[in-house]
Amino acid sequence: LITCNFSSAPFSEILNGVIKSVKKDGEWKVLIVDHMSMRILSSCCKMSDILAEGVTIVEDINKCREPISSLEAIYLISPMEKSVKALINDFKDTVFTYKAAHIFFTDACSDSLFAEIGRSRVAKVIKTLKEINVAFLPYESQVFSLDNPSSFKSFYGSRPCESKDRMIENMAEQIATLCDTLKEFPAVRYRKGPEDNFKLAKEVSSRLMAHKADNPSMGEGADKARSQLLIVDRGFDPISPVLHELTFQAMAYDLLDIKQDIYTYQTTGVGNSKQREVLLDEDDELWIQLRHQHIADVTKKVTELLRSFCESKRMCTDNANIKDLAQMLKKMPQYQKELTMYSTHLHLAEACMKTFKATVDKICEVEQDLAMGTNADGEPIKDPMKSIVPVLLNNDIGPFEKIRIILLFIFHKKKGIGEENLTKLIEHANIKNHSTIITNLQNLGCNIIGRNTGNTLPVRKERTESTYQLSRWTPVIKDIMEDAIEDKLDTKHTSNPSFTFLTLCSSARFGHWHKNKSPTEYRSGPRLIIFVIGGVSHSEMRSAYEVTRSTDGKWEVLIGSSHILTPNGFLNDLKSLDQESESEQSRTIVTL
Amino acid sequence: MRDRLGDLQVFISESPEEARPSEENQNPENAEPPELFMFDGEDEMDRIYKEAQLMQKEMLMLKLDVKRLGKQNARFLTSVRRISSIKRDSNALGRDIKARGEAIYARLEKLGKQSRELEEEHGATSAVARMARSQCVYLTKAFHEAMCEYNTAEMLQRENCKTRIQRQAEIMGKEVSREQIEEMIETGKCSLFSDNLLLEGRSARSALTEIENRHKELLELEGRIRDIHELFFQMALLVEEQGCKLDNIEANVGQTRDYMAEASAQIKKAVRYKKNNPCKKLLCCCFPCCR
Repeated sequence: LITCNFSSAPFSEILNGVIKSVKKDGEWKVLIVDHMSMRILSSCCKMSDILAEGVTIVEDINKCREPISSLEAIYLISPMEKSVKALINDFKDTVFTYKAAHIFFTDACSDSLFAEIGRSRVAKVIKTLKEINVAFLPYESQVFSLDNPSSFKSFYGSRPCESKDRMIENMAEQIATLCDTLKEFPAVRYRKGPEDNFKLAKEVSSRLMAHKADNPSMGEGADKARSQLLIVDRGFDPISPVLHELTFQAMAYDLLDIKQDIYTYQTTGVGNSKQREVLLDEDDELWIQLRHQHIADVTKKVTELLRSFCESKRMCTDNANIKDLAQMLKKMPQYQKELTMYSTHLHLAEACMKTFKATVDKICEVEQDLAMGTNADGEPIKDPMKSIVPVLLNNDIGPFEKIRIILLFIFHKKKGIGEENLTKLIEHANIKNHSTIITNLQNLGCNIIGRNTGNTLPVRKERTESTYQLSRWTPVIKDIMEDAIEDKLDTKHTSNPSFTFLTLCSSARFGHWHKNKSPTEYRSGPRLIIFVIGGVSHSEMRSAYEVTRSTDGKWEVLIGSSHILTPNGFLNDLKSLDQESESEQSRTIVTL
Repeated sequence: MRDRLGDLQVFISESPEEARPSEENQNPENAEPPELFMFDGEDEMDRIYKEAQLMQKEMLMLKLDVKRLGKQNARFLTSVRRISSIKRDSNALGRDIKARGEAIYARLEKLGKQSRELEEEHGATSAVARMARSQCVYLTKAFHEAMCEYNTAEMLQRENCKTRIQRQAEIMGKEVSREQIEEMIETGKCSLFSDNLLLEGRSARSALTEIENRHKELLELEGRIRDIHELFFQMALLVEEQGCKLDNIEANVGQTRDYMAEASAQIKKAVRYKKNNPCKKLLCCCFPCCR
């Protein structure tokens, strides 16, 4: 099967379609970006990639910039008023900031903004004007993000949000550009229940039609008629984002302080440098191999790989471990890349285990029992209150850990708990100033304080694969993915009402297709694209890869959301849902 | 990808004269093309670009040498007899690669120094400093790649030699493990085959010759790698110092600051430019003395 790596399509759109397309030998160019396009660009390309194609400097459009009028400029921007005004401003004075403008919009530019450009002086020096239709971040090869964490508050805030409809339109356009880039025209399906699922689905549908009108090759190919885009809401599975995960990526992002995917640790390298920063992304082949594996396997695997690497390079050491790596690096600096990779992952695994052993290991068993409703032997748990109280009373355990236990307890109860009981639990745990985290979950449709409305957690599939005791939970989305692929996601899921998906627009309507004339780089099999409103957790991201593998690559599952969640991030998001605005809050952001 | 340049041209041609900004008619200098403004440090950047171009050429030559070495190595594997028409042997290529590598590294260091000087002179967030720094990162990465290619080529040859030795030893009826071969390389001695061997027959004798040749080659290879160790070390140091953030676009954009032009200096430059417009190329020479 020819697989089109999901993250390579936008990369080539941008690098080839934008930067290379205006490259002229011997001439350098200035590249100007705004926040969104910068994030997209940064997740696809490195500085050296764009320098190789004639870009000498990258500027922020919203900053006051030094005029460099001997060079032409490439504007890679989103078609927003702020960016367009800044563009026009560059060519307002007698002296133009740059020699000429090559403009690339991330998605469709409105008529009014287009007219403004046409009326301004910049129109005289525009050499290129295109819409590239890449308005999303390809975070991983099967994960995308719309880079809009504030949308969580817009969707779930206690106070109505005026700009919500506008936001939904924008998100729909972003999702449509994703499909456009992948040449997909999927059937749009949404989980029945929350109105926003329907609203977003409707907007996505209409944007898809608009894109298809300009780009008829979307959805071409017999298999493509089976592609689906599913829209679900976060409240549908509130367990996955709060549960402690013991797979490498999820664990690292939960327990350690990893910002912007950079892991920092202390070590000695070739020189005397003490601190090393490493980017955890798909350029690191070892990260790709290890990120979804259980922590117990990770340390074993890395040690094994390092040992065989050392043997093959004749680096004689008795135990290939962290301490010896510095020596090896000095002896064989040409293997810096590999040795750094091993060093990074050994340190990362060690750091995870250290934090785990400090407090988390006591909690995991309780959490798994609550999430599954059964203990490790498969017997239904009898008195969960008994097992959580010692955790809540333990002063060594942080407040956010306690909140997570309480939440899992409440979810276990399925219909919520009495208000008195909740107050008692909050008191035991001494987390009164964080209590809104728990109550605000009602905004997502979860049953917190005993009532019969709201979501009932779905009945789950029987999973027969053997798992580690502390990793029995499977994210609900995995069941959905499997059902969707097996075409079992009917309109009436009688056994699981919360699995009811309504289909908005079937790609089968545009069923006529001609023999595959599409370039071989595009994937021929069907795709399942999942969009979660409100954030996606690492365990759910992992599920996309697992399900893809289980189809032997016949299907490709992509998952994404407005942003990637960490448990602390999710809890912090929840905390402020009932508050008015950023300035009014006094956030107590608790980190481990 | 949707091209909208056509739409723009249609819009411009269709929109009435009044809709366009009146500033065009107000400005008497409008007849002239917009003035080109030399940015602070442009001539320094021009020098850096030239240097970067030359370094790129050198790296290309280095990569070609590495490819030649690869071909050379492959030839030794497939032929039993030495091909006398081979122009350069592996060691000469190795020396060439080392010399070129060291020269490029020296230039990289010099460029790094220039970049730091520009930072001090114009400020770390100035356009010229950022341009220079990016060039450094880019060239370092390219050079690092080239050197890694060299290492890979030699390591490939190493593995091939070892495999060949194993096969030849089998022909002679002796099983040799990879570890034993590694020992041979380390000690430099080919003593494995001095005892208990079936040296009868032409095939056995030629196998022995083959093994001895491969062994010699391995030792020379090791020598080349040892020789170039210092250069690898310096490269690794440089890469380590740069870290991962310099190549990261988001980190780069995050570093930018609002440009605070010194108003008087700008006016001076603009006036000078206007006066000398037809001969603006000559300004490159005039500028340094006018600072």
